[in-house]
Order: sequence, then C-alpha cells, then structure tokens
Amino acid sequence: MSLLRRGRWITAFALLLLGGIYIRALVFTPEERLQGLAQKIYYVHVPSAWSAMLAMGMVGLASILFLFLKDPRYDRFASASAEVGTAFSLVMLTTGPLWARPIWGTWWTWDARLTLTLMMFFMFIGYQLLRGAVTDPALRARYAAVVGICGLVLLPFIHLSVYLFRTLHPQPIVLKPSAPSAPPAMVITLLSSFAVFTLLYVGFVMQRYAIGERTHDA
Amino acid sequence: MTPDAVPQTGGYMVAAYIVAAVILLAYTVVLWRRGGKVDRGS
Repeated sequence: MSLLRRGRWITAFALLLLGGIYIRALVFTPEERLQGLAQKIYYVHVPSAWSAMLAMGMVGLASILFLFLKDPRYDRFASASAEVGTAFSLVMLTTGPLWARPIWGTWWTWDARLTLTLMMFFMFIGYQLLRGAVTDPALRARYAAVVGICGLVLLPFIHLSVYLFRTLHPQPIVLKPSAPSAPPAMVITLLSSFAVFTLLYVGFVMQRYAIGERTHDA
Repeated sequence: MTPDAVPQTGGYMVAAYIVAAVILLAYTVVLWRRGGKVDRGS
C-alpha cells in the first residue's frame, strides 16, 4: 500500500476516534463547576495546540537535518509538517477565543502566550509564502530551513511563557513536572485527545509528504 | 445567578467543537482531492 493510501487510512481512523473523543468529552466527562461547559473546549483546544507545536518542532528538526545532510526528503517532510501545522494552528486560534470570551470576558488579549502562538501561526504562513516565492529549489529549501529553525527556537518560549511572564492563560494541566491538576476523568479525556490529534497529525503529514513526493513540489 | 450555579457557556463549547471539526474535515477533503489528482496523474 502506498504512503498516500496509508495516510488516508490513518486519517480516516483518527477522525473516527475524534468522534469518539467528542462523545466522551460531551457525555462521559464531568462538567467543571466554575467554567461550565466552556471548559470542555480544552479537549480540542489544548491537543490542537500540541499538534501545532509538534508540527513546528518537526519542521525545525527536519530543517536542521536538511542543512547538515542535504537530503531533499527532510525538506519535503518539513514542508508537509508546516502545512499540517497551519491547520492545527487554525483550530487552536479559533477555539481559544471561543473559550476566552465567556471565561475572560474578551475574545483576545495581547498576553504573552497568545501573542507567541499567533507568531507561530504567522511563521507557518511565512514559511509557506517563502516556499511559494523562491523558484530555485535549492535556495527555497535552504531559506525555508532557516525559517523552520526560527520556529523551533520559538517553541520553548511558548511553553514557558506562562511561567516567564505575567499572563492570563492557564498553566499546563498535564505537561508539567507535578501531577496533573484535574480529576482523572478529565485527564483521561484530555490524554486520549492528545493521542488522537497526534495520530491525525501523522495521517495528514503522510498524505502531504506523498503528494509532495509525487509532484516534486515540496 | 446564585453562587453555586454553573455558568451557561454551552453555546461557546458547541461553536468550538463545530469549528474544530469543520477545519479538520475541510483539510482532510483538500488532501484527499490533491492526492486523487496526483494518483490519476501518475
């Protein structure tokens, strides 16, 4: 079975599991007392942010490997991951304000975490615009790799922004040194959603990589 | 609202779940169509 078809199957399976996550989150996960049902937005917002950051991390790592090894497969992978990361960033940036409006009373604030994640979204967009603007494949790959590495440098600042700066954004629930700060039923839903979004990332990247490979247009 | 009442924020949750599903499904369709074109071309 080709990479494209395997990617399609994985994506279809992940979307099916995402339906399961929706059901688990809506029906079988308790409602938070202070935030009400808006808290359940966490189960799509946080995993989409994770997948977007995973995508940016992979773009950066593949870019470093490309610059060292000059293997076009790394460039193609970075390009695929950047496009997929844009989709997950879009989910993150639309579901976040839908949670913030009832909880903070505003759709958006220029808080460190929010601003840095918006920067990551613009880096994904910029990365792809750059690829579209440079016609020479060798130059395109090299310039894009530099942008990809800049994106990788941004990631620790995004994750640590809630500790480094005075911020409204909630602190990590799971990805932190101490035990998760939520009841087990909520943590299980959140972790399951992390797994499904990761699988979705894998399925999308496999398809996008295969398309880039066959069209020779990374 | 009494102090113990849970805030009514269900509409925002529904909107977020729909938006997330629409974006992910739309991207799935885009990849499916691009993959189909590539498949037919090869």
